[in-house]
Amino acid sequence: MSTSTQTPPSTNVPRQGISGAMRSAQARRLFPWVLGLVGLLAALGLQSQLYSGQERTVATIFMFVALAQAWNLIGGFAGYASFGQVAFFGVGGYFTAVAMSHWHFSFWMSLLLSGFVAALFAVIIGIPLLRLKGHYFAIATLGVAEGMREVVTNLTDLTGGGAGITVPTVGNNATTAYLGNDGFYLLFLGLAVLSVIVGGLVARNKFGYALRAINQDEDAAAALGINTTRMKVLTFALSGFITGLVGASYAFQQVTIFPERLFDVDITVLMIIMVIIGGSGTVLGPLLGAVALQFLSEFLRQNFTNLHTFILGAIIIVAVVLLPQGAVNYVREARRTKEFSLLANVRKYRL
Amino acid sequence: MSGFLQATVYGLLQGGLLALVAVGFGLDPFLGMFVSAAVLFVFGYVLQRFLINLVINGPIFITLLLTFGLDLMIVQGMNLVFSADYRSIKTSYASESLAFGGVRVPLGRLLAFALAVAITILLVAVVNRTRTGMSILATGMDRGAARLMGIRARHVYALTFGIAAGLAGMAGAMIGTVGTFNPSAAASFTLMSFVVAVLGGLGNMYGALVGGLVIGLVQAWGGQYLPGTWVNALAFLVLIVVLIFRPTGLVGRAFYASRQEV
Amino acid sequence: MRAKSTNAADSGTLAIGASLSLTGKLAREGVLTQEGYQLCQEKVNAKGGIDIGGTKVKLDIQYQDDTSKPDVAAQLVDQFNDKGIKLILSSYGSANTEAQAAVIERNGQLMVDSAGADNKIFSKGYKRTFAVLSPATEYAASIVKAIAELATPKPKSVVFLSADDGFSKTVTEGGMKKAKELGFTVLDPQYFPNGTSNVSSALTKVKSQHPDVIIGSVHLVEGVAIIKQAKELGVKPAGFGESVAPPTPDFAKTLGAQAENVLGSSQWTDATKGTDKYFGSAKDYAKDIQAKYNHAPDYHNAEASAACLALVLAAEKAGSSKADAVRDALSGLDTESFFGKIKFDSTGQNLYKPMSVIQIQSGKALTVWPTESAEAKMIWPGTK
Repeated sequence: MSTSTQTPPSTNVPRQGISGAMRSAQARRLFPWVLGLVGLLAALGLQSQLYSGQERTVATIFMFVALAQAWNLIGGFAGYASFGQVAFFGVGGYFTAVAMSHWHFSFWMSLLLSGFVAALFAVIIGIPLLRLKGHYFAIATLGVAEGMREVVTNLTDLTGGGAGITVPTVGNNATTAYLGNDGFYLLFLGLAVLSVIVGGLVARNKFGYALRAINQDEDAAAALGINTTRMKVLTFALSGFITGLVGASYAFQQVTIFPERLFDVDITVLMIIMVIIGGSGTVLGPLLGAVALQFLSEFLRQNFTNLHTFILGAIIIVAVVLLPQGAVNYVREARRTKEFSLLANVRKYRL
Repeated sequence: MSGFLQATVYGLLQGGLLALVAVGFGLDPFLGMFVSAAVLFVFGYVLQRFLINLVINGPIFITLLLTFGLDLMIVQGMNLVFSADYRSIKTSYASESLAFGGVRVPLGRLLAFALAVAITILLVAVVNRTRTGMSILATGMDRGAARLMGIRARHVYALTFGIAAGLAGMAGAMIGTVGTFNPSAAASFTLMSFVVAVLGGLGNMYGALVGGLVIGLVQAWGGQYLPGTWVNALAFLVLIVVLIFRPTGLVGRAFYASRQEV
Repeated sequence: MRAKSTNAADSGTLAIGASLSLTGKLAREGVLTQEGYQLCQEKVNAKGGIDIGGTKVKLDIQYQDDTSKPDVAAQLVDQFNDKGIKLILSSYGSANTEAQAAVIERNGQLMVDSAGADNKIFSKGYKRTFAVLSPATEYAASIVKAIAELATPKPKSVVFLSADDGFSKTVTEGGMKKAKELGFTVLDPQYFPNGTSNVSSALTKVKSQHPDVIIGSVHLVEGVAIIKQAKELGVKPAGFGESVAPPTPDFAKTLGAQAENVLGSSQWTDATKGTDKYFGSAKDYAKDIQAKYNHAPDYHNAEASAACLALVLAAEKAGSSKADAVRDALSGLDTESFFGKIKFDSTGQNLYKPMSVIQIQSGKALTVWPTESAEAKMIWPGTK
């Protein structure tokens, strides 16, 4: 019965031997980072080729990359679909606007503080709400986002209410010079890079595995000794932190902000679509989804002035029907099973 | 069931418009709404059966996304076909009110309320006593087991969605008689219907009625004792507080949150 | 960043950028604004184009959809700038216009504002945005003035019911200030969420105070709600007045008999006095809109056409299509038009054109004030 003296059949060990295998595994681990670096350099290079207005459009793409990656942490990895993500966006944005106009903080100081304020907010609402599941969590977070919008609209002395609030960018009250389309391009690029790095780090270490475990079967994860509440709240806070940073940058870029826009549920829905079409629970998915969707929506709007919403809706339907698990997941499964047919994919998910 | 709620968006507006058409033909809108309900039922059934059922087995929010895409298309489609003008349905009696002491009860809203209660009771009866109703409940509880028992899940889902669309159509007609609407009003009604349904609790037909009544009362009382602009914030606050203390809604059934999707 | 391309006034055409709300919640007004711009282009090109320093140049207005969102509206201004289009016609609404004005100032472009009335936009020291329409503070104030002048017996108390967006609040401020000036008792205003169709709590609160006049600083949805629910709740002042809603055709259509005798303020009616060489008189304009678009003219059409007209006249006066030259010409413009007087003060607002006050009589919106353009006498009290 004993086979310990025989060499085990080699299936996974490559011909090069153990050290070769380690080098190959290392290469596989480094490859995404190298790819990311290439992408970053490309984005920086792109800037010199763009007109000022186009820079602004691309900056918006970067903004959504960051938002999608942040949502993916709580919605994709942990499986808690937050429909109120824009609350962090708005909290970050309004904190910066108020700090810069009422308390004369510099933008960079406000930016950092906004992130922490949004994270703190995430902890405060996360502790009671992360006990909810599925639809209830989604609607509860949506309720928080909508509620925050109403609250901000009503605190007129602090936030200007429905009339909006303006960040001082000219004259004596301006604490930080306006960054201009060039500056904001770099700022949002930086935020996008940050979010992708965070996503990548989370995906590959114990933290990410714990989240995936919670996603798949929370009770089993708890039985394994994972402190699910702590993990969920931490993820929510991290997600909120990044989203808050993005919101703060957006507030500065727009100069004048209004509650309906900073707490607009459309932003949350867009984020979610980008993650799901790209492939939730992956790092590349939200990135691709954000770029593709935002680019597409912008392209359609410029060229099909009257019909663009209609066409976008149709494309979303087609994309969702053909690739319900998201593009990246589809590619991974297809490569594994060698089954590339889209029709087969549809059959897998239909009733 | 998640797409169930999304049916509200076009159902409401389409219903209002169809009722408007029915009024044009001389039908009183409160009768015309049954016509719009029927039309929308068919529309919803077809939609679910042939489009939405394609993604049912996927992650739960895929259905939501699909219906979101539909929402974009249909709202914009209505904008293009019917224009973005505001419309309303005129009845001679909807703005009249009955007076009880110092309190006035507007007739249009009273009728809408009565209808809502009647429909809820009807639905509860159908779901709990007829075979079709039972099959809807069963599929909701455990799709795999239901199918093993010979229930045609595809048909059941389509039926549910159709009913949802039809109801939304009736609601649209009622809204048309007490207020104005236009295609972009879709979003706020969708939001409110989600909030009301979840507050009341999913899995129980009375949930929506309870949720709606609670929100209505909270907003009315809030409007009286607080500055008028806080009413919406109050509604959301109530939603969150209720969910914290009763995670499945006011009268929702616990099984719903943890059911298996097979 | 790449260097900007040269000015797009190439041989024969002058490109002007217009970002409009063609989809989203402002779609209805956005389309009306587009109609106004299009009619202007048609009229100008029918005469061969704009006379710039001796050469006739055709007008070419390029449209983009800002989906009713201020950040997109601002982004579109940047995108027009990329293409070298420096002359911009505004989007609809104060929020969008405010967002655009900031970008215009930064990029050195020029914008004529057709639909952003909030005075706030013009208190920021911007020098490159000019509004042809009367500012927000006039919307309710003109109704107050009309009532003070024409209503007999003169009512004593006024209450304002207002939506809580920036524009409506400015309207309320202006109205309350004027009412106090003219000796009315002004009760505490009631606010409700923007866009709501349920104003019953505000109405219930004022019912016990028995105001003589209820003035709504609203848009169409809340405006209709006030009249409907006032009837439902048994609130009967001597008369109603509202901003924005009553002059729109949807208002009378929706409310039917209940709309009778409601007062409203309008940027323009077809009884407005004044003529110009492209549009003729207000009545001519009304006929043109009816013929081209098959509906009665809305003041949103008129203010859009007026904005375009101002830009055209300034370019002619400057003899150039360069943004700076046109800007200087615009600031010194002083002319009559189908829209009334077009002249700008130092902040860029048009304080020289009064708003018209209309009253719904037999389902039609008739001008009752100022008396020199009045088509009918004000009926008072408005409610029986």
